[in-house]
Amino acid sequence: MWLTSKIKQILMVMKPGVVTLDYPNERPPVPENLRGQPVFDHQKCIGCGGCSDHCPARCILVRDVCQELRVMLYDGGRCTYCGRCADICPEKAITMSNSFEIACDQKEDITTRMELFMMTCQRCGRCYEMEKTNAIDRINLKGFRYDNLEQRALIRKTSETFDPALLKESDNYQRPSDK
Amino acid sequence: MSKRKELEAKLIARLRDDVVCVEKTDPRTIFIDVKRAGIREASKIITTAGARYLCSVGYDNIERDGTLGMIHTFALDDSDQFVCCRTSAPVGDPVIESITPDLPSAGWSEREVTDLLGLRFAGHPKPKKLVLADDWPDGIYPLRKDVPHNFVPKGAEDVAYELDEAPPGTKIVPVGPFHPSLHEPEHFAVYVDGETIKGCDYRGFMTHRGIEKLCTTQISYNEVPFIAERICGICGSVHATAFSQAVESAAGLIIPRRAEFIRTMMLEFERIHSNLLWLGVAGHLIGFDTVFMQAWRVREQIMWLCERLTGNRKTYGMILVGGVRRDITPEIADDIRRVMKNIEDDLTIIHRAIEKDTSIHKRTKGVGTITKQQALDWSLVGPVARARGVDIDARRDHPYAAYDEMKFEVPVLDSCDVWATLVIRVVETFEAIKIVRQCLDKMPGGEFFVEMKDKIPAQRHAITVVEAPRGESVHYVITGEDNRPERWRVRAPTFPNLQAVPLMLLDEQFGDFPIIMGSIDPCFSCTDRVAVVDLQTGQSSSITKAELDALSRRAQSPSHSLQTMLRG
Ligand code: SF4
Ligand code: SF4
Repeated sequence: MWLTSKIKQILMVMKPGVVTLDYPNERPPVPENLRGQPVFDHQKCIGCGGCSDHCPARCILVRDVCQELRVMLYDGGRCTYCGRCADICPEKAITMSNSFEIACDQKEDITTRMELFMMTCQRCGRCYEMEKTNAIDRINLKGFRYDNLEQRALIRKTSETFDPALLKESDNYQRPSDK
Repeated sequence: MSKRKELEAKLIARLRDDVVCVEKTDPRTIFIDVKRAGIREASKIITTAGARYLCSVGYDNIERDGTLGMIHTFALDDSDQFVCCRTSAPVGDPVIESITPDLPSAGWSEREVTDLLGLRFAGHPKPKKLVLADDWPDGIYPLRKDVPHNFVPKGAEDVAYELDEAPPGTKIVPVGPFHPSLHEPEHFAVYVDGETIKGCDYRGFMTHRGIEKLCTTQISYNEVPFIAERICGICGSVHATAFSQAVESAAGLIIPRRAEFIRTMMLEFERIHSNLLWLGVAGHLIGFDTVFMQAWRVREQIMWLCERLTGNRKTYGMILVGGVRRDITPEIADDIRRVMKNIEDDLTIIHRAIEKDTSIHKRTKGVGTITKQQALDWSLVGPVARARGVDIDARRDHPYAAYDEMKFEVPVLDSCDVWATLVIRVVETFEAIKIVRQCLDKMPGGEFFVEMKDKIPAQRHAITVVEAPRGESVHYVITGEDNRPERWRVRAPTFPNLQAVPLMLLDEQFGDFPIIMGSIDPCFSCTDRVAVVDLQTGQSSSITKAELDALSRRAQSPSHSLQTMLRG
């Protein structure tokens, strides 16, 4: 039995031959709907912050530096390429491109930063008509937000009107520790 | 009499006032609330009624009524029901009687709850740390609501886990935390007498990532499936599906049938790739790298298929609460059929080439044996249990997604060794291919995602099981405010299986350690929780950290025998 098994094994190995691709010299086509690096379109973005609310990796940060200026920062270093942000965006401002060879030694190379001029709703601070009707997808953080872009930390605190004190506080954000 | 009535009658007859209530709302899940004095008795009654222990869930209820809650969950496999036995203890006196003396596999669950919530268990045979790091400060219980998710305690120097005492006459061989035969950091101390393994102690949970905490504090319902998927690199969809089903069941959300079919297909793709992966790894562990190369070559096709289908080789991101994200188009359906055919052909060739190979037989037959009774006692799951004659499969016993319409065999063998596990996993791959084909043939049209209009009410409990390639995964969800679960407990299949490894290792050769370990297809990241086995309590010299360090250094140089090291 041992010998017949070995013969069968030799045939099993011979038939397919070498299957390893000579990457990167040989590059097979990238599948059409690959979820690669997300690309942000600042023309379309309305700054609703929905993508940031729903990013499982919490790597899209929003910081309102004053009443009119909202800075959004996408930190590709932590992105999991799940495509959730692209699903959520009401304006289709995010597309999952098919570029995947994005290893780099500068964090900034895979960071996207957008500065958006914002208007404020007179009635409720900053409100958006949420296109999402699904109760389990509803966007939860509304109004003004104060993530710490330096430390790339999402701070789950918002206010209805712009609050310089909160902005200041988030400048010194530190992870809680027992000493 | 229905199981529920029968259980209720028995419980009330024995425990009287200790039974608070038996819920009647959910036909599939029987929630029983008992006072804490009756918990051990209640769990005994439930297991004698034929229920199989799944896991235990602790939760923080301090804000609501000043208690810590504890739920022991069981499955009634022949009537497709779950039993959740709930109790609680005031936070000022957080002690509950342990059920581990009756159900050894509850050992880890209880230790985990002690670590994470500070609920203690009277009579637990081994109340050691399980999940938390050795230098984690006392009195801080990370799963309690008052501890922030990103809390970083100060580390301490020179605290080490106290390994169990070695049985008399044995020496210790440390395997890990990093070791070529383990793919993830875990530490085993294997007690050997010559070449024969006499026991082992395990310290793991080094890859504990606090996922449950993160998902109950930071993100909302529909982001959890993406994180759930990352619990395990192999059975991602399993966890995402299990979580989604639990939330859907708590919310009373009915998802479209088409979505259920697509989920079933994703789960079976995962089974195919996982079984092929495991087959390769098993070959590699016994030094048969041809199998490794060929199994992985065949597996690659399914990885590419999934890339075309879902946008990624792994972590498919297909499952959402309410359905799935991408549809199966007719073109991709043809693609799937073609790939299934190729895999079936290739796997048949591999199967024929290895099934009679005497060298594989020698390395796997009669290795890692434990009896059916032991497998039942330790609540083993998946192929590991089926290789020991335990006929369980969540797909058949507790059908979810579209499995109620699928026809498939559940292979069960009783040679109780690693070989049986191997055969079962190969057979299951063929079965999985059959299921995928049935899905394609029977798939109904229509929507594949459904919107949920109302908020999910808080404080609903739900449990689901999903059969992962390595065994059954259990998810327990308590819904919360703020659009996110309040408590989510994941029990991966390795959790019970790993607890029985010391038993499998007993009296085996040390050289077989990797394949026995590998035979349960351990996934430490998803388990990350560990325990040691109590073999016998014997007197012997315990070894200090310094000695162990020295020992592990010596262990690598063959000129020093271990014996000289430990003498005295
Ligand atoms: S792809 Fe996923 S992880 Fe990356 S930014 Fe979008 S939502 Fe976040
Ligand atoms: S969801 Fe879209 S529109 Fe809203 S902030 Fe993100 S990119 Fe801009």
